[in-house]
Amino acid sequence: MAEQAYTVVSDSETTGEEKTSSSFPEIAIGIDIGTSQCSVAVWSGSQVELVRNTRNRKLMKSYVTFKDEVPAGGVSDELAHEYDMLSGAAIFNMKRLIGRVDTDPVVHASKSLPFLVETLNIGVRPFIAALVNNMWRSTTPEEVLAIFLVELRAMAEVKLKRPVRNVVLTVPVSFSRFQLTRIERACAMAGLHVLRLMPEPTAVALLYAQQQQQSGHENMGSGSEKIALIFNMGAGYCDVAITATAGGVSQIKALAGSTVGGEDLLQNLMHHLLPNMDDLFSSHGIEEIKRMGLLRVATQNAIHLLSFDESVPIDVDLGNGTKLSKVLTRTELEEVNKEVFEKCEALIKRCLQAAKLEAEDVHDVIIVGGCSYVPKVRNIVMSICKRQELYSGMNPLEAAVRGAALEGAVASGISDPFGNLDLLTIQATPLSIGIQADGGDFVPVIHQNTTTPVRKEQIFTTVHDDQAEALILVYEGDEKAAEHNHLLGYFKIRGIPPAQKGVPEISVCMDIDASNVLRVFAGVIVHGTQRAPMPFMEVRMPTVDDGHGWSAQALHKMYGSTLDLVTVKKIQHRDC
Amino acid sequence: MYLRTPIDRVLFSPSNPQFSRTQKVSFRVNSKLNNNVIEISESKSFYELLGIQETVSLLEIKQAYKQLARKYHPDVSPPGRVEENTQRFIRVQEAYETLSDPKSRDMYDKHMSKGLHFAFSPRRKCQNDESMENTGEWKNRWHSQLSELKRRNSHKDSGNNMSWGAHMRRQRSETSL
Repeated sequence: MAEQAYTVVSDSETTGEEKTSSSFPEIAIGIDIGTSQCSVAVWSGSQVELVRNTRNRKLMKSYVTFKDEVPAGGVSDELAHEYDMLSGAAIFNMKRLIGRVDTDPVVHASKSLPFLVETLNIGVRPFIAALVNNMWRSTTPEEVLAIFLVELRAMAEVKLKRPVRNVVLTVPVSFSRFQLTRIERACAMAGLHVLRLMPEPTAVALLYAQQQQQSGHENMGSGSEKIALIFNMGAGYCDVAITATAGGVSQIKALAGSTVGGEDLLQNLMHHLLPNMDDLFSSHGIEEIKRMGLLRVATQNAIHLLSFDESVPIDVDLGNGTKLSKVLTRTELEEVNKEVFEKCEALIKRCLQAAKLEAEDVHDVIIVGGCSYVPKVRNIVMSICKRQELYSGMNPLEAAVRGAALEGAVASGISDPFGNLDLLTIQATPLSIGIQADGGDFVPVIHQNTTTPVRKEQIFTTVHDDQAEALILVYEGDEKAAEHNHLLGYFKIRGIPPAQKGVPEISVCMDIDASNVLRVFAGVIVHGTQRAPMPFMEVRMPTVDDGHGWSAQALHKMYGSTLDLVTVKKIQHRDC
Repeated sequence: MYLRTPIDRVLFSPSNPQFSRTQKVSFRVNSKLNNNVIEISESKSFYELLGIQETVSLLEIKQAYKQLARKYHPDVSPPGRVEENTQRFIRVQEAYETLSDPKSRDMYDKHMSKGLHFAFSPRRKCQNDESMENTGEWKNRWHSQLSELKRRNSHKDSGNNMSWGAHMRRQRSETSL
């Protein structure tokens, strides 16, 4: 497969190197791969520094151009982006598409991108392709990210004058564990070893913890706790985190995230400017791609300008007699994106509620990410959090990558004589993890916003008399119906001793360790001197590969409810 | 029809995959193990776990928790102690979650005042589901988990579940010797 081409490093090669020069441990670098921009940062020995590319830029466009045989990313050559975008050769926005199947609305919304995103609605990965020499060259989000990561890695190696292998990457809160495995895959293809995948706002929280520790004398040792709400909105995703910080320890109280971002603002505005856009662009010919690209660039610029001005003129010749010429106002932008902003509001409220806090309990409100410049976004955050000012100690575009670099240093075991790395993040689970039971219900075993590492158990029982087998379908998410959550994997428990329905006790135990590895153990509990019929199954999740939507449907079709489990009813009087 | 309450309980992180396979029989075998277990804070109350007085304020509970997190969280644990500390961390977390919520702290305090301290015989719990429910099953479970922990602790940490930081620290401490 094409994927192999990017596997750069053999294990023996690097481990040998590390051994010989291990007087100082390798410091993991922090990488923030955004939907639209990315950056790299590293602990320099006294502080975090962003790595600049040959054009002296700290932020690079996240895209890859496919030309001839050798694809190239935007790390070194960002200027070509807009031109490549018009030719159908540039692939971008892959962070929005990674780990998604072709039934996903996010994939469908990506069809207006100036390259090919084809869906068949059957629960497999979408067909994504770049137009190279008039032919579609298929690719995958993993491949695009890997090409890009190889360039970032090469850039960092040149600047740091050492091989780079270990990385801390920031990821959206709403990423499923399946999506995380796709990111890990992309890193592996680029010869990178992932130390941590850190939800973006938790990286910001770590930076905040360090700033608090450095600045506040009142915080030194006394450990008085500060609550911060972090709102992060980039091109692809919106995340909220609430952290309780004291003495360099950042404890994540609650997380909430959604696939909503600048890309939605852009698409909604494009539809507003050109209502029949989807019909016009549906054929994906070279001319359509060019028009789509032109409209996209013009709209993007307008959104940027509307952050500073109340109105902006749009003049774009889309060819073929289609000309757009009008004045766009900020009010219009806000009106066509009402739903996007409502989603942002809902996320903040949900996060506060999950943390059991009121807006008044929050000491600092931090807003980061590309969309933090959008006036409406700032207004929403300030109004829900009931304040006039936002925390000002951070660069909104660099906060996440700086936090990732701090985590990289801490997780590499580096210590700082001045105590600047006496930091710790106590993470929480962004999504619940559980199994399908009680018919089609999702029954969480580890609930959302549980502190990790953690281990939880839940007892289930059979639905049929003499049921000998049970299907354990492990899902992640927070929807009541199991099928609306992400399927992580499935396995069967066999050899349940014959008994009336509801009698056997089936234990399902889930464990998340410090590296965020999820293991599921399940089996039949036996009493007294009986011997266990079968050993417990222990499965590392996720197990499903691409097409997990398909697997779930196939499983249901095949097994129906014959292998169902139900939750054992909770006993009410626990406190007596 | 339903057998038993499935309250969420915290067991301990599998120090080693091979042990987790024996997990299923945890509360069955425990009674056999109880007599010769290693002492590891099994009779500690949540307050003792956090190293605080029963009269402390919420602020002090939070401070104690953060301090212990810095000590026991696997990310900052010294080499060779990651397994043990992960288990400690999970226990500290449980104690903190119970005591930092006024309602559950109150409930816990009532249990304590009834004399249901942790220093009870775990033998009492296992074969008697009814009494489990009546005497605060979670505490019994808790105790069985401690026994499990002790059992695990008697095995040497294999290191394959270490955090990267711990690996690095271990590597460094080995090279510096």
